[in-house]
Amino acid sequence: MASGTTVERASKQPGDTHGANESLGELFVRWQQRGDSSARDALVQRFLPLARSLARRYDRSSEPFEDLLQVASLGLLKAIDRFDPVRGHSFPSFAVPTILGEMRRYFRDCGWSVHVPRGDQERALRVRNAQETLANERGHAPTVNQLAEYLELDAEQVLDALQAIQAYESLSLDAPRPGSEDEGVTYGDSIGGEDERFELVELDATVVAALEHIPARERAMLHMRFVQDMTQTEIAARVGLSQMQISRLLRRSLDQLRALTRDSPDAG
Amino acid sequence: MVAQPNVRLNLANTAENVVVVRAVLAGVAESVGVDTEDLGDIRTAVSEACNNVVQHAYEGQRGPLDVTIALSQETIEVAVRDRGIGIGEHAEEDPSLGRGTGIGLHVIRTLARDARFDEPPGGGTRVRLTFAARGTRPAGEGVAGGPELDLTEMPNYAAAVSIAPVGLAKAIVPRLAVALAARAHFSTDRLSDVQLLSDAVADHAVKAVCDRHVSFGILAQPRDLELRIAPLALGQADGLVRASQLDGLGRVIEKLVDRHHILAAEAHETLALSVLDPRSR
Repeated sequence: MASGTTVERASKQPGDTHGANESLGELFVRWQQRGDSSARDALVQRFLPLARSLARRYDRSSEPFEDLLQVASLGLLKAIDRFDPVRGHSFPSFAVPTILGEMRRYFRDCGWSVHVPRGDQERALRVRNAQETLANERGHAPTVNQLAEYLELDAEQVLDALQAIQAYESLSLDAPRPGSEDEGVTYGDSIGGEDERFELVELDATVVAALEHIPARERAMLHMRFVQDMTQTEIAARVGLSQMQISRLLRRSLDQLRALTRDSPDAG
Repeated sequence: MVAQPNVRLNLANTAENVVVVRAVLAGVAESVGVDTEDLGDIRTAVSEACNNVVQHAYEGQRGPLDVTIALSQETIEVAVRDRGIGIGEHAEEDPSLGRGTGIGLHVIRTLARDARFDEPPGGGTRVRLTFAARGTRPAGEGVAGGPELDLTEMPNYAAAVSIAPVGLAKAIVPRLAVALAARAHFSTDRLSDVQLLSDAVADHAVKAVCDRHVSFGILAQPRDLELRIAPLALGQADGLVRASQLDGLGRVIEKLVDRHHILAAEAHETLALSVLDPRSR
């Protein structure tokens, strides 16, 4: 499971124990009323684990942890400045909303939406490349756990990346292929070169209207998977794409075919 | 406001299943147009509630983790429930007095618009979270009862989910099945087949079910996953498989599964589809 969802027990959180409250109060007085920065440093030291814990929980898996921690720490400083010990609340009950608020504000307002898809996309590329590497080494497709171990990610991050691969149309076509010496050679190029071979795959004579709406390349893949009963890895090797590419194209083509079949007058 | 949930998900309270809950939330959010930032907040808060059930509800033992999701205009309500030790009379004022949610509770209160704890009939604890979610559309009429497939007594039971309206299954079942197949050591190759199968089944289920909701049960063990669909009208289990026929390709469902069988009851049928991945290791 994602490390970001791990829960620490309340008792491990500094400041929650009653015995520490008194000296905490003194530290806040020293910092807030006398500007004693050594008191603030002491408070930061005590509550940094809280900021760290929130950074791990914050569900933005593609953001580097260091960045999350930095923003969480900034939120912690603000909370230390603003906390009013006289009101009788515990510091964590005040600090958690302050820190989360800082993180939300930062990642919503400061280019989060520009930054994140790139992080997702980079990870998706790493997962795709690792999938090909492991499949080539071992002669069969790896499991999600094997990918996670190889890439030092957790299984959920790999699953999210697999989902992202299906979402990014451009991913496959614009990125250099793993192991290709010439970085200028992309999937787009290799697809162009494969077209003739696709045409050579013989389709059943019974192929009818719906299939004709599907591009020749996808039609050939569907035929290999469902008529010749080839695995996706075998198809990938045959046509020079990654298995994840095959997966995405098969999924999309089947969706299209079902929609076409549904819409045709003799459906049902 | 208590809306009938659109999704009822039954799992065991393992840490791995929190990932499954998150996958289902993502699928639902995507289908009803929830803003991705809001989804992040929802997933964070719901994870805290689920982790609490994983760690504290059964004092180290295994027990049910039940999650419901209700969708309405610009609002998502998620309820996380266990059947374990109650939270006692302090529930509303501070459930952390009953058992340790620690800063998780603060996280929930910060991210959810509303968070209520109670002890529903039947025992255990429930936390009901309401989120303001931009872009959310109502999904339609919710689920009245629990899943038809009560899998709690089956040893390899992994998940049961009941969904209404039936069309919402397309957004949920592929994500759910893939998450469980990944855990069952499926290769990425066969994992994709599980996704293609789920797509097909969810799509054809719209015509084959005999109720306003559809239930799916998933049994998972290493390299072996079984997907069950109910309640199907009599004759429709076979009909669903036949409906997957695509000209020139054959019956897609039959090609993707290793075996399938039909469980008939008096008024409805259940279709059981098995996918194996013997090559994975």
